[in-house]
Amino acid sequence: MRELGLVGAIAIAAGVGSYYVTGEFGRFGQVNVALGGLALALYAVRALGRMRRLGGTPVARRMLTTRAALLVAVVAAAVALERGAARLDLRWDWTLDRRHELSPASRDALAALPDGLVATLYYDAEDPRIRGTRLLLESFATSGRVQVRERVLDDALEDLDRFGISSSNSVLLEVDDRWELVGRPSEGTVWEALERLRALERRTVVYYARGAGEGNLLRSDALGFSGLAAALQTEGYRVRDLVMAATDAIPQDAAALLAIAPERPWREESVALVDGYLAGGGGLVALLEPGRETGLEPLLERWGFETPDAVVVDPASGPIEGGAPGVNPLAHAYDRDHPITKPLDANRMAFFLGARPVRAARKPEPEDRLSVLVHSSPRAWLSRDFERIARGLPPQDRDGAPDDRHPLASAGRYPRGEREARVVVFGDSRFASNGHLRALFNLDLILNSVNWVAQRAEGRLTRRPNILTEIQQPLTPQESLRMFYGVGLLIPELLLMAAAIAWLRQRSA
Amino acid sequence: MIPLRALIRKELAVLFTSPVAYLTLAMVGVVTALVFFDHLRVYNQTLFVWASTTMGGFETDTIPDYINLRTLVFLPVMEQLALMFIGLVPLVTMRVFSEERARGTDELLATTQLSPNQIVAGKFLVAYLFVAIMLAVSFVYPATSIVTAGLGLKHLVAVYVGLFTLGIGIASIGLVCSAWTTSQLVAAVSAYAVAFVVYDFSWATAFVRDRESLASLLDAISIHPRFGGFAEGLVIGADVAYFAALALVCFGLARVSLDLERVR
Repeated sequence: MRELGLVGAIAIAAGVGSYYVTGEFGRFGQVNVALGGLALALYAVRALGRMRRLGGTPVARRMLTTRAALLVAVVAAAVALERGAARLDLRWDWTLDRRHELSPASRDALAALPDGLVATLYYDAEDPRIRGTRLLLESFATSGRVQVRERVLDDALEDLDRFGISSSNSVLLEVDDRWELVGRPSEGTVWEALERLRALERRTVVYYARGAGEGNLLRSDALGFSGLAAALQTEGYRVRDLVMAATDAIPQDAAALLAIAPERPWREESVALVDGYLAGGGGLVALLEPGRETGLEPLLERWGFETPDAVVVDPASGPIEGGAPGVNPLAHAYDRDHPITKPLDANRMAFFLGARPVRAARKPEPEDRLSVLVHSSPRAWLSRDFERIARGLPPQDRDGAPDDRHPLASAGRYPRGEREARVVVFGDSRFASNGHLRALFNLDLILNSVNWVAQRAEGRLTRRPNILTEIQQPLTPQESLRMFYGVGLLIPELLLMAAAIAWLRQRSA
Repeated sequence: MIPLRALIRKELAVLFTSPVAYLTLAMVGVVTALVFFDHLRVYNQTLFVWASTTMGGFETDTIPDYINLRTLVFLPVMEQLALMFIGLVPLVTMRVFSEERARGTDELLATTQLSPNQIVAGKFLVAYLFVAIMLAVSFVYPATSIVTAGLGLKHLVAVYVGLFTLGIGIASIGLVCSAWTTSQLVAAVSAYAVAFVVYDFSWATAFVRDRESLASLLDAISIHPRFGGFAEGLVIGADVAYFAALALVCFGLARVSLDLERVR
């Protein structure tokens, strides 16, 4: 009888093993599992018969009954334990970059969409990436706002045509009659798709000034601002250019105007246009540069900001990208009460690449409110040594003022009757350029500013999902070999020696 | 507690005076090293091809995202470690109960102050301890390179928590198989069979594709999907509870086998 059980077990092991080796459960596997199952069933029947014979006496029968009941209770307890834990849904994300925790932005995006959002994962069973995607969708599902489904690609040919799904590990997000397809799912890409679903119902326009050498939102190299344009579009804005010298009014549909570090001073007429636009409750985000006359300075002064032409030198910050030490300040001293900087803190720094100070100096009207958004460290000072800074050398001149905290960006709100103008001024523009937009929390800072100026709901001002950077560094052959000899061979060698000694002692005992 | 401690000490002594334990640990070391360094070699080669000047080099950001230590080295090595457990753990658990039964020393054990629960618990604890030692041997390779490469110690700990709970699950299956037979060979082979079947029921999904509740039940009792979260650095309470529940059921089965032996 035991032979029957053993043969059955071997057959099942071979059948299932063939699946792991070949990747498919073919005829070999099916026959083995079927015959093995039959043999084990026969073995079980005979074993039960033997047990019945064993339980002939009342004492034995009572013992068997109690043990069977105990076994049932243990299985029930085990199921209850697992189900209870599943219901509690306890999860601990131990990854370095917290890649399984939803960011506040993702939660907000889910909350803002109407009920009935469905996320469908289309996959091929052999695709190893779907495990990570399943975990990602599970973390979205914990919000209670998404219903997650899965479909094997081969079973969903109609959907492949309808939604243009071209590969495994694609996620389709559907709500009402709208849908978005995510080809390479990560929290960032799913969040962007959620934002695009929202954007369909709330398009507003952000204009960016052109004509005087301003930063270009179409330029895609490191010095351009195409990344900012893409991020604004993801947030649901239409981004349009506005040639200031050729316009006689800021368009009515402008949610905000971006002025990015003009290389040549704006004409007075252009400045007057912006002044009138703000007086009517408009929004301006101005990015300045030290050592550059933009023509905006008098306008900003009228709205309460002083922007002396100097560079903030902050010895608390080391050299970045070969620049002079201290001229690229790492900023973490935020105004924690202002909606723009509320989600940022000392662990969510931004950095600037040569910033001029932007002081919130004088309120134009008593009810206006001016705020400094972010400061340098208290050890900072101002320099006008533009020549040495441009050559990457430490600036030498000091303006005589003692070390102090210097404002790097400021904001103002100006209630005017039923309307309210809003202005944000940064002392640097390059922090938002393609080369540095995704560094630290620069993207959050600039997008929060545009959202605030455009008077989007303040609950929307929040951190975005992290952009995950995978580790792509090699181990040299020398390092690999050193590790292989050091631990790959040494430990097994010592263990084999121990095995040999144990064997010899056992023999001689 | 003193008799239980004595039992654990005796079980450990039996384990480590035979060459089987050392050979098993040596195999863990060799296999882990070979698997790890083979993946590392392929990763390095792929990375250098993509980083070569003809492909654009490191500076141009053209290396695809999937070429990274986590995806190409860490996760596959951990997967294979999990599979290796099925191959090696039953070699150690096969003798725990069956050898005592074959030699008749189980009757001697029954005459001690130890209750049947304590006897089973002692043997289970020793097997779990051995699983922990196996993990310690395999820990060195990923730890030396992955921690320095920035994956994070906590992630590594999450994976090893997963491997330990998975090892406990497989050891528990092996112990039950050993408890129900007097033959070590039968114990090992049946442990392989059960572990292979329970490891991943995805082979059965072809037959139950139209019956979603059955498919999800099979998925819920499979070992492999439970390990997925740990490998990704996510410790899920339900997965830990699953392995604890598996150990509990196996404990119950082993305990009942002792009672049946007494009836016999």
